[in-house]
Amino acid sequence: MNDPLVIFDLLLGGAIIALAIASLTVRDLFAAVVLFIIFGLLSALAWVRLSAPDVALAEAAIGTGVTGALLLKTLHHLRFVTGTLGHQSALSVTPHTPVPSGVIWANAAFCGLITLGLAVAFLGAPQAGPGFDALVSEAMPASGVEHPVTAILLNFRAYDTLMEVVVLLAAVIAVWQIERGLSDAPAPVMGEVWQGFARLVLPAIVVVGTYLLWAGAEAPGGAFQGGAVLAAVGLLLLLTRAYVPRPGHRGIARCAFVLGTVVFAAVALLVASGGRVAFEYPADHAKALILLIEGLVTISIAATLAALFHGREPVALRNKEDRNDT
Amino acid sequence: MMTIDPVTLAIFLPLFGAVAAFVAPRAAALIGLGTLALTAAAVGLLARDVIATGAVIVPLGGWGAPLGIELRADGLSVAMLVLSVAVGFLVSLSALDALKGPANARQRQYFWPLWLLLLTGMNGVYLSSDIFNLYVMIEIIALAAVGLTVLTGTRAAVRAGLDYMYASILGALLFLMGVGFIYLQLGRLDFAGLMDAEPTGALFAAVALMLVGLALKTALFPLHFWLPAAHANATAPASALLSGLVVKAALYIVLRLSQYMPFPSESLLTLIGVMGAGAVIWGGIQALRAERLKLLVAWSTVTQIGLIFVAFARAGEAGLTESWKAAALLILAHGVAKAAMFLAVGRIKDEVGHDTIRDLDRAPVRPTLAQFTFALAAISLIGLPPSLGFIGKWSLMEGAMAAGYWHWIAVTMIGTLMSVAYFSRVFAGFLRFDRVRGTVAEHQGWAVADAAPLALAAMAIALGLMAAPILNFIEIGYPFGEAK
Repeated sequence: MNDPLVIFDLLLGGAIIALAIASLTVRDLFAAVVLFIIFGLLSALAWVRLSAPDVALAEAAIGTGVTGALLLKTLHHLRFVTGTLGHQSALSVTPHTPVPSGVIWANAAFCGLITLGLAVAFLGAPQAGPGFDALVSEAMPASGVEHPVTAILLNFRAYDTLMEVVVLLAAVIAVWQIERGLSDAPAPVMGEVWQGFARLVLPAIVVVGTYLLWAGAEAPGGAFQGGAVLAAVGLLLLLTRAYVPRPGHRGIARCAFVLGTVVFAAVALLVASGGRVAFEYPADHAKALILLIEGLVTISIAATLAALFHGREPVALRNKEDRNDT
Repeated sequence: MMTIDPVTLAIFLPLFGAVAAFVAPRAAALIGLGTLALTAAAVGLLARDVIATGAVIVPLGGWGAPLGIELRADGLSVAMLVLSVAVGFLVSLSALDALKGPANARQRQYFWPLWLLLLTGMNGVYLSSDIFNLYVMIEIIALAAVGLTVLTGTRAAVRAGLDYMYASILGALLFLMGVGFIYLQLGRLDFAGLMDAEPTGALFAAVALMLVGLALKTALFPLHFWLPAAHANATAPASALLSGLVVKAALYIVLRLSQYMPFPSESLLTLIGVMGAGAVIWGGIQALRAERLKLLVAWSTVTQIGLIFVAFARAGEAGLTESWKAAALLILAHGVAKAAMFLAVGRIKDEVGHDTIRDLDRAPVRPTLAQFTFALAAISLIGLPPSLGFIGKWSLMEGAMAAGYWHWIAVTMIGTLMSVAYFSRVFAGFLRFDRVRGTVAEHQGWAVADAAPLALAAMAIALGLMAAPILNFIEIGYPFGEAK
């Protein structure tokens, strides 16, 4: 308790809870989204304090950055659909039909039971559980990488990671298949200042994203974090209209989405020979294979997240927009 | 030369198929059917291995549990694989017909990658022996299933798909929190670690969280609110997959957890049984009230899931070593029969032009073969001999009688009577001709498309005659500790 950072931790914890409550209770949706983004940033800080820098990076890049962008884009679309695009606080949380009180009570009871379960599980849990630590440090030399989190994600439990990449693929296929017609909100276009801003930050983001990926072998970072940062490039390109998705790009986009999955799965199966099973990388090639997989998975993650931000299969643009672009 | 075991292939073949179908949308149907045939071959090889040598374990990456992930195939998991591949293949055949025509080009293009991803996830669940891996797999299933739900693109379907997605994600999160707490306490995630665990209050709470999550995913009353709309508004092959196969994945996980981690208390099991009984009765009432045929069939899924949980609780904690077999039989029976029924309803809707139950007897067109399929599937769902549904219900009641739990028999009987009642509403519509003006073309509306549902319905009946071998098969590799 002598650690002065305890005060900081208490403040941080209090702020996170307060932000969570605020973002749930505030009636203005825009404010709710912004509060949620700040909540995510502080959560990332909390992960740092819990000595989990990998989780912190993922929380900041995916949980806050990409999710925040997705929420803001959805809000923009909602405002367009409801015709309140110009008004900052026009769209507040007022359901068209009030929720019956029976449903509210049932939900309250359900949430209460869940909270009770969480509390019992948490209070009864040991202070420092056994965990994988001993096993991981024993197997590290054979993993081909130096960072234990990367070793777990891409070697010891690579099957889980492959399937997580597949989850992302399933998400983008599910999003693409929803036929939305042509009634989409005009993409929020950034002004001239932003164009210059984008020109400055784009190269920096590319460098940061690639560094996160590369550093993943020895230090916190990796494909998911790097991919999320690189997805920001895609977001900026879409927002500045430097890149406009067209139907002709569907084929190459599909290839980009599946690239990571295919290479990951193919490597996993191809190493299975001479008594080895799937995912059993030969020791002297492990690092190269892991880097190859991570690199291509990063590209797929970046492309997929950017496509999720775009939110639909590229469709033919209306004539008016076409003229504006050319 | 690569040597890949059939366990790995059963998961990776559909994955590669899904990718190929997504990248080459024009050839999607061909790729889909080819992938299913190959996967069926892999499952066949695996079944041969399991019969010959008992449970098969593949330590992925060569690390072995608990550090790495092990795939494990035993009788029960192979039975589930066979169910998903066999039902999936026949549903795929009928999807060829259901999604034909230029109006369905978009649905045709996306049905195959989503369905193959769904198969990847389900096969992954059935072969998993690691609770975190199960979480990842149910996430794949959830996203692919939501995609299939909204395939038609109608407003009702999208609305239902959104509810389904919320329920599904909430269920997965609850499951994940349970997994997290189990890891915190035991320091490992594999099934074998769960077996040796000391039962404590905290562990009980963690398992309870997982069970609530799974109940939400499998739509156990009163957490069933998302199911009827989602299953009733999807396109017919998607409904067949969602109702016949998808809800079974979460049910299977419950079954597995009960094998490796006996429920810590009788009261939890009783609670599960009571929820099941609630589903049987509430679902029955709603099925009696349903105005549309598809909605009736979807509510019947709610009652059947309830029945499976009743089978689970039928003999209390002491009888759990046998009860899971009754539940497994009912899972298999419902999977086959419900897929047949949804496909038949899709055919009836296509031929008659609507699926309003009250107006079925006014239809001048009677798609006899589809109606016959519906009746056969209903026989299995009601539980008339010699269908597989009958064997499942019989084994449920036998165990309950032996344990002296007469209330579960009463619930089963009430559920059976109600299912007779609500299916009779449909039969009356099929068989009455006096309300049609003009001649009724009784034998119109036959098509090759009726073959797949009819085959499924025939399977639902005929499998009842093979109940003994099926029971022997699902016991291979049970219990866990004795596996090689």
